[in-house]
Amino acid sequence: MCLATSFAHCMASGDRQFPRWARGLVVIGLIYLFLSGVSALEAGIKSMGADTQERLFSSVSNPLVGLFVGLLGTVLVQSSSASTSVIVGLVASGAVGLDQAVPMIMGANLGTTVTNTLVSLGHVRQSNEFRRALSAATVHDFFNLMAVLVLLPVELLTGRLSWLAASTSDLLLGSGGADWESPIKALVKVPVEALKDLGGGIGLSGTGLGVALVGIGLGIVLVSLISITGNMKALIAERLERSMNRVLGRGGGLVAILVGMAVTIAVQSSSITTSILIPMSAAGVITLRNAYPVTLGANVGTTITALLAALAASGSEALTIALVHTWFNVLGIVILFGIPILRPLPIKAAELLADLAVRRRSVAVGWTLGVFIIGPLIGIAVFR
Amino acid sequence: MVLSFFKKGESPIQRIGHETIAMLGDARHSFDLASTALLAGADPAAVGADIRLTDERINAAEQRLRSELVVHIAVRGGADIGLVLGYTLLLKKIERIGDQAKNILDLAEEGISLAGAEDVDEFIARRQEISQMYVEVADILATLDVDRAREFLSRSREMNTRCEDKLHEYMQSELPGHWAVPRAILHRYWKRIVANLAGIVSAAIEPIQSIDYLDGGRTDITDD
Repeated sequence: MCLATSFAHCMASGDRQFPRWARGLVVIGLIYLFLSGVSALEAGIKSMGADTQERLFSSVSNPLVGLFVGLLGTVLVQSSSASTSVIVGLVASGAVGLDQAVPMIMGANLGTTVTNTLVSLGHVRQSNEFRRALSAATVHDFFNLMAVLVLLPVELLTGRLSWLAASTSDLLLGSGGADWESPIKALVKVPVEALKDLGGGIGLSGTGLGVALVGIGLGIVLVSLISITGNMKALIAERLERSMNRVLGRGGGLVAILVGMAVTIAVQSSSITTSILIPMSAAGVITLRNAYPVTLGANVGTTITALLAALAASGSEALTIALVHTWFNVLGIVILFGIPILRPLPIKAAELLADLAVRRRSVAVGWTLGVFIIGPLIGIAVFR
Repeated sequence: MVLSFFKKGESPIQRIGHETIAMLGDARHSFDLASTALLAGADPAAVGADIRLTDERINAAEQRLRSELVVHIAVRGGADIGLVLGYTLLLKKIERIGDQAKNILDLAEEGISLAGAEDVDEFIARRQEISQMYVEVADILATLDVDRAREFLSRSREMNTRCEDKLHEYMQSELPGHWAVPRAILHRYWKRIVANLAGIVSAAIEPIQSIDYLDGGRTDITDD
């Protein structure tokens, strides 16, 4: 294909093939579907009854198990947006308490970094590229790990993170927050009620109906989130490209954090934002120091999905746990990026790991399997 | 700054196209200035500073645009790989043309001047013709008009044949070396510039695997 044809093809591709307004409508429909999925999930868990809920979720009363469950669940679905939305649904249903859900949210935040770590493994054949790609990917891992190491003990000892989120929730919802019913909740009731009726029509009730609703809800949440991300990426591809070019032009810092946040809010997936950084880092177009703050912005931006999910859930606790996700990432940035002495730590750790992995490729595989699969599995087995 | 994320604007690939054309404008500026030093007696020191500044601008633009092409691929995926490879080749050719203007300046800085020579009108006419070719190439890049590109390629081959003939004529000349050698070298530089201009046009209309190769699969070395 020559430049003339490629150029014509490029200009006709992506959002130009499908009218923007139509894609916008599709996204609105998908958001409605996503919120209905969260609501179905909550309704399903409520239908299960207290005994079943107790059997299913008693193990996460140990915060470390909660952390590892959140991590593994996110690795499994490759999306913290999906897993945190499920956690919001669990909290809204009352099956999981706020204190149990906080470590799960932290685990979900950690688990989402597996996607770009996997993307970086694609550069394994070229040492220099691999070093840059892996360090750009694992700087996200290290930041999230360090944030958990700092903030989980603080939360367990003082409860300040959930207090901060609850205070914000009270501020947003007013004093009647406990009885708060989101107007969106009423809108998504219709399809959930229809699903319940359908289940009842085929003889399902109690735990059976609950399991069916949870399965359908999970499926809807996953499919709608994947579709929202794909459509939004196509819709904002040009803006995304322009933003990344600006990060290249201006360097890192606050601007990069804000760009990472804006892009992630728009595409509803931090993995999209951070995975775009990997080939750019591998090619040496963006330095690790400039990519790092974009990653941090993506961490905050991705929390918008749980906040959105809270709109479809009952009570103020759903919003509180969504805000825990936001505050966890904001405080992580304030501590690990805002304090100059701590700022280079994730970068140094990522560079060290990348150097080791270039000398011995199995280090990279060991890191990925160890942190994201084997470690959490052992953790669950030991602490449950 | 971040709010600009929400504003509509020129697409990044269109912007790369416009900046590529601007680079070509810079390359023409250098060529015209260097030619003025050699053919019209302008002070090489005076124009040299401008040419080197322009060259730095061209080099910086090439590096920036290469980065933006990587960003384009990272965001859009492999579908635009042909476009990105085509632009990479094209940018390199424009950067080379910028360097070749410096080669012409080098002649003037060696103390050579064709101003006032008996054959200077012939040189000035050819210089104008080549300078006009920069404009045509910019137009072709802006419009991606394949027919016009093919017509340009045919004319560029004629121009290179004329430069080649003159080059041989000076090499065989009985006249003293200080007269014939600068003229031969200048024609060699012009030939390379025209070949690179033709290469830019080829990159715009030929499949990526055929660029810089002749019909028989031989390498086209005229732009080296």
